[in-house]
Amino acid sequence: MRGLFAVFSRNIVNFFRDRLRVIFSLVMSLFFMFVFSFVMKGSMSGIAQPMAYLVAGIVIMTVFQQALNNSTEILNDLSSGFMKEIIVSPIPRWQISLGQILSATAIACIQGSIILIMGFFIGLRVSAAGLFGTFGIMIVAGVAFSSLGLYLATVSRNSSTFQIAVSVVAMPLTFLSGAYIPSTVLPHFLAPIVYLNPLTHITAIFRYVALGLYSSPVSALVKEGIAFDANGFIITPIISFGFIVLFGLAFFLLSLRKFTSADFSSVKAAMARHRH
Amino acid sequence: MIKTEATMSNIIEVENFTRRYGDFTAVDDISFTVPEGSLFGFLGPNGAGKTTTINTLCTILGINSGTMRINGHDVDRERNLVRKDIGIVFQESTLDGKLTVAENLKYHCEFYQVERNIIAERVDSVLDLVELQEWRDTPVSGLSGGMKRRVEIARGLVHVPKVLFLDEPTAGLDPQARSAVWTYIRRVQEEQGVTVFLTTHYMDEAEICSNVAIMSKGRIAASGSPSELEERFAKSVLELETTEPERVFDYLTGEGILFDVERGRFRINAGKTATELDILGLFRNSILSFSTDRGTLDEVFLAIAEGEAM
Repeated sequence: MRGLFAVFSRNIVNFFRDRLRVIFSLVMSLFFMFVFSFVMKGSMSGIAQPMAYLVAGIVIMTVFQQALNNSTEILNDLSSGFMKEIIVSPIPRWQISLGQILSATAIACIQGSIILIMGFFIGLRVSAAGLFGTFGIMIVAGVAFSSLGLYLATVSRNSSTFQIAVSVVAMPLTFLSGAYIPSTVLPHFLAPIVYLNPLTHITAIFRYVALGLYSSPVSALVKEGIAFDANGFIITPIISFGFIVLFGLAFFLLSLRKFTSADFSSVKAAMARHRH
Repeated sequence: MIKTEATMSNIIEVENFTRRYGDFTAVDDISFTVPEGSLFGFLGPNGAGKTTTINTLCTILGINSGTMRINGHDVDRERNLVRKDIGIVFQESTLDGKLTVAENLKYHCEFYQVERNIIAERVDSVLDLVELQEWRDTPVSGLSGGMKRRVEIARGLVHVPKVLFLDEPTAGLDPQARSAVWTYIRRVQEEQGVTVFLTTHYMDEAEICSNVAIMSKGRIAASGSPSELEERFAKSVLELETTEPERVFDYLTGEGILFDVERGRFRINAGKTATELDILGLFRNSILSFSTDRGTLDEVFLAIAEGEAM
């Protein structure tokens, strides 16, 4: 387990060494908070706590983006050569991949928490029990999306356009998740995408817990875009949570398996080309 | 564990190793051994199969057929045991540029499970070895190429391996940095008793190796000590000035030895040291001066490459 901890700790240290990157990623979230707070004020029909609703969405999207970005950092480690140092060390592969997932999760949760704390200043109120729950869900989201990122990065390996491709796909999915703009205001033909989008579900369960809506009737939740009425079948936040857990577990196991058996020696060719 | 005499003295044993990439055979049935404590040079032009061989020894690539053992452990089946016994300096940098020199070394110790209480001492000693003590807290990205290579050498040694592998350790370095890197490599082998296995295509560097193997097109074309190879393959030239040029001329023509004469000096392609000694002995009373040009590994290398081409 010492290898796992070493990989974890190195990734965290490496991330926070790059102060500019830490600041930029937070500035992005704050910018969204600022811009969408105007949208919220205007179009928030039927949402009881608009600012808290928005902050919760931005917190969980920060966790999602940071988890995905940081787990795909292994692509940079591959092209800088550092991954080779780890691959030829006696650390078992499963510990390397677990270290990658957990460090990306930790970074994502730290970034999410910073946004959460800022949210307290603009009207977010979370009970002690709710706080406990929000951290739990941030960790679940972190593990799920870090696993997804590690899996995609391991499959693609040496593609330098991969990270751009990921953000191109991730961007529309974040907007269709209801995190920034409530999914209730989206056109109806997008409903299937909204329901299949894992980001919709992580946003829903996170808001449910962060805003403490346990006693709200289902109809109110549907109206706020936290539960969904898919042709009569009500997708409650609990079902959403189950969906995320299964999604995360699947990619967690897939990424461990893929990373453990991946042949990273072929990456060398791409690096040599890069060098000359 | 019972060790045979052969495994005691040879730290690396390669038998009938073959590696294919699809239809292309990168390494074709090679066998060699590396004595413990030696400085072994693995030479050859680009694409000869050096890097494939070193990467397989370093447990990065799998084996198609044949066996490789390092310190008695099977490279393919006992990877983690082998990994603890070896240090590796790759062609391209594998340092974390954002971490400092000392941090890179400390994390390496963690990856290789060096006992916690001796890590600081080990890091200090390897930094002294490569003379980078004053740079220990500098982020690696701020170092020159030569210094980075020295950090990599230090890192390859910090877990006290039995064998240090270096793939083209001086490629892309300026002459001063090259000579510094060589100083440390020799220090590692002579003072620390670590077996050094390196690849290079600078033949002048290979002269200091205790043993070399020259690869060409996936096979080992020649192996032995540099002087043995020079004797066998290089054209050494004997130059002499004599008071009896006619006698020397007749003798050489009679023996069928190739030579030419330039401003009264004979340039004789004797081929073998023994023949040169014969000539010197025969005309000892009439020789005014002589010199020999031993030939270099460069010539050995070219001779082998030409032989392959024919």
